[in-house]
Amino acid sequence: MLKKAIRTHEFIIFLILVALSLVVGIINPAFFSVSTLFDTLRASIVYFIMSFGVLPLMIAGGVDISFVAIAAMTSYTTHMFLLKLGYEGGTLLYFFIAGAMGLLAGLLMGFLVTRFNLPVFNVSLALYTMWYGFNLFFIGATANFDLPQGTVGYYARFLVTAKDPYVGQTGLHVSIIYAVVVGVFVWWLLKYTIIGRGLFAIGGNKEVAIRSGFNVNFIWMVAFALMGVLSAIAGVTQGFLSRYFNPVLFITQPLDVLAGIILGGASITGGRGTVIGTALGVLLIQIINRALILTGIPVQWQKLVVGIILVVFTSIPAIRAQRARRLRRTTEAA
Amino acid sequence: MTQGTNDKPAAPIRRKPLAGAFGKIRIGSETVQLLVLAVILFMFFSIIVEKFLTVRSITSMGFQMPELGVLTLAMMLSIYTGGINLSVNATSNLAAVLAGFFMVRYIPKDAAGAVVTLYLAVAFLIAIAVGWVCGVINGLLIGYVGVPPILATLATMTLYTGISVGLTGGATVTGFPTQLSVIGAQTILGIPIPFLIFVGFTILTYILLDRTSFGFKMRLLGSNPVAAEFSGINNRAIIMGAYMYGGILSAVTGILIMGRTMSAAYEYGATTYVLLTILICVLANVNPGMGRVIDVFIAVVILQILSTGFQMALSGVRGSTFFKDFAWGVLLVLVFIANYFIRGRRAQSS
Repeated sequence: MLKKAIRTHEFIIFLILVALSLVVGIINPAFFSVSTLFDTLRASIVYFIMSFGVLPLMIAGGVDISFVAIAAMTSYTTHMFLLKLGYEGGTLLYFFIAGAMGLLAGLLMGFLVTRFNLPVFNVSLALYTMWYGFNLFFIGATANFDLPQGTVGYYARFLVTAKDPYVGQTGLHVSIIYAVVVGVFVWWLLKYTIIGRGLFAIGGNKEVAIRSGFNVNFIWMVAFALMGVLSAIAGVTQGFLSRYFNPVLFITQPLDVLAGIILGGASITGGRGTVIGTALGVLLIQIINRALILTGIPVQWQKLVVGIILVVFTSIPAIRAQRARRLRRTTEAA
Repeated sequence: MTQGTNDKPAAPIRRKPLAGAFGKIRIGSETVQLLVLAVILFMFFSIIVEKFLTVRSITSMGFQMPELGVLTLAMMLSIYTGGINLSVNATSNLAAVLAGFFMVRYIPKDAAGAVVTLYLAVAFLIAIAVGWVCGVINGLLIGYVGVPPILATLATMTLYTGISVGLTGGATVTGFPTQLSVIGAQTILGIPIPFLIFVGFTILTYILLDRTSFGFKMRLLGSNPVAAEFSGINNRAIIMGAYMYGGILSAVTGILIMGRTMSAAYEYGATTYVLLTILICVLANVNPGMGRVIDVFIAVVILQILSTGFQMALSGVRGSTFFKDFAWGVLLVLVFIANYFIRGRRAQSS
């Protein structure tokens, strides 16, 4: 049992994560602090939620990049709409409206993909540019900092707080709960529902999935709807965490998010992927991006170091997979 | 979807008039469709926008599209071989930055015109060599180490951008000799020089893809890597070749950007260019083992018509530059749906 766990891709990523943390921690002990942990988690929350939303699609073999655009469109449109109404209440209405819009956006995409039998990636690319264009042209082109009264305090609402020797008071933001709930839900969906098993079946072999009686179109629709809703939640959460709403939120990041998921062991061609792996992949990317500030490497060279780390870390699982394949081939031949 | 060559028995007869210096040019229903779309859009904007159908606006389109066009050819090669190359733009910026450093540091201030031209040639060679090396690194990671292309090139994108940022400290490199602007701002017989360069590389890529055994092997590798390997093709070497050529094309884009802006920086075209090139490839129906260079060329023209057209039509409206993004997305969806109805239900399977 333990041996099996050690051989998984997730475990390798976990080891890389630990090794990287150790190296950074040795260079600068300040890295091993509660505030680093809390800050990293806080920065990861929205990426957790978005990645968990995209993961089911990717397992079914659909590569989507429009989720960032849905996050931006739903959150920014909701904010500007409520601002116009003079809304002063809390955060719940934001999640509700944006979530509904995300659901519709997801269903629209699902409709295009299933009704016209189109490749997911192509449609997502079209919708990616469409939603950002929609935001910028029809809604507004500048970031908005006027938060309703009821939501202002949200950015500092903590689940637990702790004393930190370096920065004083520090806290873990309450929205980490959303990420955990979403993660558990997607894990359950993938593992224990017929829809989840259908997603793996479609990603493994679509034709076989159809013939074994899975309602492929329905399963696609559910996956797209989930992606839409979770993207919207991530977008709104990001708005409150950063205390402004941005029409081009995440516009440069769809591929980084996908890379985190793939780094976590999901296959870009479908059929493989786990919630744990995805979470580890997201964390790894976040730590790579944040830890370097603490290592004392000059700012202008940091991106280069991130690049080198990424090249090395993406190569390790690939080399291992290649070796396993070669091993299998020789044992088969014998 | 099958290639145009084995569509229907009637097809070869129809293609005969196009047989020219290169033999039969591979075109198909997509080519015709894209051409029709380009013509319709062109006529649409000529009618609704007053100054669209003028030499000036058409020339300016000729100056604007080559950068994205050559970069799209680089992207096309990676998709054609079953991958993707997110590092194209980072490669062009790195090539431009290094060539720019050479020009700023080593060209004597009092050099004569001919000498400067010689130095420029060396700078271009440096840029192309840098692009080649970037391509080799991509090829090594993807072909030999076996990293999924999207991960490998995302990593190298960060790496190449990181080198550019590190060397320049985030600043823009300027102070190039004025002769460089020939590349970006002058015309021959009224045709912008960058456009001629774009056409040149389009033809070169076409020959490479459709007229050489290397191109044939790329196609086979893209459509079925396992079958390719078992028919004696060295998949790794072909992948390496595709990314090397892609790197060189990216470097050419870097030179074009340098010629237009007379500067080099790590951030030119950052991220939007990469997604735009993928978008054009999608419109041109480039898939692993599938796709035609001529379709890519027409798709680049369509994007330019759309972007210039809407910019002129909506000039003065708030956020007018953004409308084209929206329109581009809608147009793409409409093209997909039209394709579905034109080709029947089975054709567009993922």
